[in-house]
Amino acid sequence: MEYKENEIKQGIKLHMINTKKFKTNLMAVFLTTELKRETVTKNALISAILRRGSKNMPTQEEISKQMEEMYGAVFDCGLDKTGDNQVLKFYIEVINDKFLPQQKEDMFKVAIEKLLEIVLNPYIENNSFNPEYVEQEKNNIKQRIEGKIDNKARYAIDRCIEEMYPDKPFGLYKFGYIEDLKQIDGKNLYEYYKELINSCKIDIFVSGDTCEKAKEIVEENENIKNLEARKPQYIIPKIEAKKVNSEERVVTESMDVTQGKLILGLDIAIDEEELKYDALLYNSILGGSANSKMFQNVREKAHLAYVASSSYLRHKNNIFVNCGIEIGNYEKALELIKKQIEDMKNGEFTEEDIENSKKGIIATIKLIDDEQDTGISYYFGQELSGNKISIEEYQNKIEKVNKEDIINIAQKVSVNTIYFLRDYQEEGNNASN
Amino acid sequence: MQVIENLKVKEKVYIEKLDNGLTVMIIPKSGVQKKYMIWGTNYGSNDNKFIVPGENKETEVPNGVAHFLEHKLFEQENGTNSLDVLTSLGVNANAYTTNNHTAYLFECTDNFYEAMDELMDYVQHPYFTDENVDKEKGIIGQEIMMYDDYPDWRVYLNVMQAMYHNHPIKIDITGSIETINKIDKEILYKCYNTFYNPSNMALVIAGDFQPEEILEEVKKRLIEKTNQGEIKRIYPEEPESIVQEKIEQKLEVSQPLYTIGIKDSREKCTLENKNEIVKKHLSIEILLNLLIGRSSELYKKLYKEGILFGQPSLDYEFGKNYAHILITGQSPNPEKLYTNFKAEVKNMKEKGINEHDFERIKKMIYGGYIKEYNDVEDIARIFLSDYFKGINSFDYLEEIDGVNIEYLNQVLQDVFKEEKMVISIVKN
Repeated sequence: MEYKENEIKQGIKLHMINTKKFKTNLMAVFLTTELKRETVTKNALISAILRRGSKNMPTQEEISKQMEEMYGAVFDCGLDKTGDNQVLKFYIEVINDKFLPQQKEDMFKVAIEKLLEIVLNPYIENNSFNPEYVEQEKNNIKQRIEGKIDNKARYAIDRCIEEMYPDKPFGLYKFGYIEDLKQIDGKNLYEYYKELINSCKIDIFVSGDTCEKAKEIVEENENIKNLEARKPQYIIPKIEAKKVNSEERVVTESMDVTQGKLILGLDIAIDEEELKYDALLYNSILGGSANSKMFQNVREKAHLAYVASSSYLRHKNNIFVNCGIEIGNYEKALELIKKQIEDMKNGEFTEEDIENSKKGIIATIKLIDDEQDTGISYYFGQELSGNKISIEEYQNKIEKVNKEDIINIAQKVSVNTIYFLRDYQEEGNNASN
Repeated sequence: MQVIENLKVKEKVYIEKLDNGLTVMIIPKSGVQKKYMIWGTNYGSNDNKFIVPGENKETEVPNGVAHFLEHKLFEQENGTNSLDVLTSLGVNANAYTTNNHTAYLFECTDNFYEAMDELMDYVQHPYFTDENVDKEKGIIGQEIMMYDDYPDWRVYLNVMQAMYHNHPIKIDITGSIETINKIDKEILYKCYNTFYNPSNMALVIAGDFQPEEILEEVKKRLIEKTNQGEIKRIYPEEPESIVQEKIEQKLEVSQPLYTIGIKDSREKCTLENKNEIVKKHLSIEILLNLLIGRSSELYKKLYKEGILFGQPSLDYEFGKNYAHILITGQSPNPEKLYTNFKAEVKNMKEKGINEHDFERIKKMIYGGYIKEYNDVEDIARIFLSDYFKGINSFDYLEEIDGVNIEYLNQVLQDVFKEEKMVISIVKN
């Protein structure tokens, strides 16, 4: 596997990941822009509207038919929050020409061109997106936002983040807000689209076995030629210094659930990029695997939960501890989780725990090359932070972490917010949502 | 070893049936780091009534034993838990139970042989005590409660209730709090000894391996067991008819969830005629896409009316003595979607299938099967679950050429019958 990048114009980059491991080629276009309250909903809507049709494929049906014709090429889009950025993601996955029953079709080239067409040459009439499409997608986004509550585990974590980042970009919900929708119409959305496409960071990724061909295809592409060079408007994710919290917030919310979801949002007060590797190991020992303190003590020994884990959000230096518990066990579970955090501070973990965690993390690093979309995400993460390290260097940094480093992290960890999603209580005090 | 090569996807599978009855399948993938091993038994939540080989009386066990066994096998006599041991090797280990089979697996880049030692050791050495069985009831109880809150699990279980009168496919894989309380170590040992005999199991390995070498490594780690022969499984008589057309449950969801089910005639699902099953499966996939897939007229119409927001998931599931279609998604108006779907089926039966649309969807389905060979995990899992259905996974790529419009029209008439359709809805 081999990675190359090529600046097409200022702010527009082509990334080529050459690999022979796959039956497919994967192409992606990422539009990265600063996450702001004013534009969060519009961006979400743009990612939805672009897949409705392009100049040469004006309907969704037409796009679908063309994808099906290309042996089931898959066109997909996504929306992510990465640090303080909103990222609009568009993908096409297409079978490598080698595995077609009839040869001679150049699906590699066609797929790149179609992807660029969908993102850069939308279906426009009278200087406006199609009003009918816009209304339908507004409605879809509304449903999507209301749908937050369906996945209780995800909802609980999102709510905890929201509570920890009030009035901050990172506290924003990536699909936006229902109250913004009514002011948006086809005309002003298209105006905004032009602004976005001329100011955002554009990254084009191609992963497959004939990547070098992509350079010419992209450079010769009319839609790319029409784009201006730009100084891209996005936020380079940087570690933010956090204070150690003296006071923890407790938020309880009620819903119609049988099982309670207990989330602890932790802050890590570190301000050096290099310490993130230590934090990664800290999290792994606390709740990142089946060997972790959370899994062993909360699930296996105390039988308080089926899910008992933690995850590290490196762009924001937070850890989210996550448990599904019987509602009546709230106090017991909370106390036990806090004990795990305390034990970490006191260095109550072994060299073996550290070694096991390193093995687990290194195994995931080695798999980056074995999954096409993971490969793209890895190189995109590096592109965004401007901090390029090879997979080998990444491994070495993990290898070097020692017990002191992890205790150092543990000392800087504090509980910011305790969020508990529970059932409606019998009497009074019914929190609404 | 038997070698089967598929020239379309350019992959090979090496198959060996050992004297003790175990089937080993190896799919070599050169150049990839990831290695995957999965060991399964042809035993799932449906297998609650059976005759132990060598006995002549029936045995019936409480619901949820297969899943309970899956949890308990990790626990070792020396006090260790194999999941911890595997995790500490840096491998990603897991296990799962379905209606039809139970499987133990791991994926790794390094320490493959050490992990293989552990996996093959724990699957072959059960250790159940009154105390450890009792303890597990608490964890499984939490798992059952977690699923109670999953609207997508509820909508699925309910659609089974609407379609099936007696078949155990309708029971929850985990069992209920009540049935798992009846499980004890004697029951667990009995089921283990019956179903974890090598003759009832298959092992699949995918990754950068030499097939002969890795086969020897498997053999070295097998403890001696005799091939006990076939287990007779007893399923209750299941009428052709459905139970009820509509089933609804209330749960806090933003948008109703629905599953449309179509119960399929079960005698066609005996496993003797496997090419026919593969062809039928492919035809149903094509038909579902023609009816309500992304490029269909119905999809366009319902999207425009705000009834559909994305393509529903379209599945055909089948196993011992059951088969059904499931169409699952979210919609503000599932009833309207259901009525429209039924009308579209009727319309297609009358008008016939458009040749051009058919060819296009067939291409799409072909591509979908090629893509499954990107990842050793997908490959190994598919080969295992197809094996327990009597199918070699390559058959899908072979049989698709033989699917034509006449065949498709026949399946449309035979399977998509209005009196076999049900809808399950979960809403506020």
